[in-house]
Amino acid sequence: MKLTYRLAALALLISTPMPAFAATIDAVMYKNPSCSCCETYAAYLERNGFKVDIKPTNDLSQVSARLGVPADLEGCHSVVVGGYVVDGFVPVDVVKKMLVEHPAITGIAMAGMPMGSPGMRGQKTESWKIYAFTRDGKAPTVYATE
Amino acid sequence: MNSDFKYHISRRDLLVAGAGLAVSASLPPARASTVDERSIKIAPGQTRLGGSDRPSTAVWAYNSAVPGPKLRLRQGRSVRITVENGLDEDTTVHWHGIRLPNAMDGVPGLTQPPIKPGETFVYEFTPPDAGTFWYHPHTDSLVQLGRGLAGPLIVDEAEPVLVDRDLLWLLQDWRLAADGQIAGGFGGAMDASMSGRVGNAVTINGRAPADLGVRTGERVRLRLVNAALARMMALRFEGHRPIVVAIDGQPCDPHEPENGRLLLAPAMRIDIALDMQGDPGSRHAVIDDFYGGLAYTLTNLAYDKVSPLRAHPLDASVGLPRNPLPEPDLANAMHHEIVLQGGMMGGGKLAGVGGMPGMGMPGMNGGAAWAINGMSMTGDGHAGMAPQFTLERGASCHLTMRNETAWWHPMHVHGFSLSVLSRNGAPVPHRQWQDTVLMAPKDVIECAFVADNPGDWMLHCHVADHQMAGLMTVFRVK
Repeated sequence: MKLTYRLAALALLISTPMPAFAATIDAVMYKNPSCSCCETYAAYLERNGFKVDIKPTNDLSQVSARLGVPADLEGCHSVVVGGYVVDGFVPVDVVKKMLVEHPAITGIAMAGMPMGSPGMRGQKTESWKIYAFTRDGKAPTVYATE
Repeated sequence: MNSDFKYHISRRDLLVAGAGLAVSASLPPARASTVDERSIKIAPGQTRLGGSDRPSTAVWAYNSAVPGPKLRLRQGRSVRITVENGLDEDTTVHWHGIRLPNAMDGVPGLTQPPIKPGETFVYEFTPPDAGTFWYHPHTDSLVQLGRGLAGPLIVDEAEPVLVDRDLLWLLQDWRLAADGQIAGGFGGAMDASMSGRVGNAVTINGRAPADLGVRTGERVRLRLVNAALARMMALRFEGHRPIVVAIDGQPCDPHEPENGRLLLAPAMRIDIALDMQGDPGSRHAVIDDFYGGLAYTLTNLAYDKVSPLRAHPLDASVGLPRNPLPEPDLANAMHHEIVLQGGMMGGGKLAGVGGMPGMGMPGMNGGAAWAINGMSMTGDGHAGMAPQFTLERGASCHLTMRNETAWWHPMHVHGFSLSVLSRNGAPVPHRQWQDTVLMAPKDVIECAFVADNPGDWMLHCHVADHQMAGLMTVFRVK
């Protein structure tokens, strides 16, 4: 019951446009201390209803690996939100979709820092694949295409 | 032993062929005819980074020690160092900052054949400059340096400098896994294209730092060597006023660092004079706050409770005698420019030289992440590296280095010290000469040197990941 209630509340929370005083979704971002594009992404999350606690770390690849991010999907930051890991510049609607659908995965990642993605400058010139990954050693699967 | 003999001969051949003679013509002659004999064996070993009561870590070591043995040489006196390779892979030794004959510089392929497993190479040179230097591999640099291969090299002044104690901190940075062993994953794309393999455990002279015991009134010469793969440091000595007396082994006009912070990038050395003026029994932190949000206390100066060594600081000047560096003739100098490009947030400038077109993340799949003047030289050095520019021997070179990237780069020139003229248009004071010039993101540095030492010389970033992933070039002195 408790879980159902929480999920319903979360679904409500993130499916409606957020007024300034709305409750926020807490997130923790682990990032390279010298990387500014991660900060741009954190600001983007904050504009979209998240509260981001930024934790700079010099051994990000170890942190990301501990969080279960496959090495070839690893980006310059890893965000922990709602029990999931979000790696790279995943658009916020995909993050929210995951929080609502609550799939049995470890997290989602978008590799490669494509131009035009949240955090990067420039125009979007191609479609992006967002992968779901798990800790069971299976290959990542496409979770969403933007 | 056959191969030993072979390399011995080829080295002498090279010396006779000109490099050794040419250098001795422009540098002061040796004062003594006797030659210092040293030997170094490189092999896997174990060390207790956390102290004698902590678990040991598997490392690679010079003479079974981390860091390697302190080589203490005399200015102007020849040394012959026999290096034996007990690793399962090739190696070489680079005598960082020493102005020596090209054939002794330790760059595989470019200045010597690599020392194969089980083989020996004899390095022979006469250090012209007194100061703080260091030695490290130039083969498989990222892994060999990251597994502990680094050692201090001190060239003593002809006349002793008046201090109470002469101390050395060789700083290393280790990326350790939870089991206390060196973490794998060398050369990952993220490290390559961002700040390099910064670790999670800093050691001073191979050990987790304990307090440094000091006495009120004493004057210490502290030689700082950053032997890390990638970790930049900004050291503050709380309650103290360190005076910089030499940078990269070269004495400068004594001065206090800006905001009391000593910026010490990988491969840089800074000698400071510290007059210990704290109260007996007091304790003062030495803090590294280079990375925003990640400041930590490196160690503490712990004052003995005994009465002061002397009532007032020493009157003697802290200045060091200058080394015999040739002064560049700026009016008639050849002008060359080096532009550093690429890396994360590099604006996709690397398209076509290894970066993925249209993508912001170069360095994927082991490709080049960086370039100098549009060219990515990757690895550690190899035969056939085309020089970026050529200088006539004896000519002065005015070199502009332009960092177009979003990252910090300590740029190291082999074989020379650079007179650093200006940074972003502002003159650099204190007559600073450096072999490793730290460039902040978007920095423009003007420097100059006299091309008095013939050979093909390397110029590269000393963040090991950056060097391996393309931030390297070569110039020739004819």
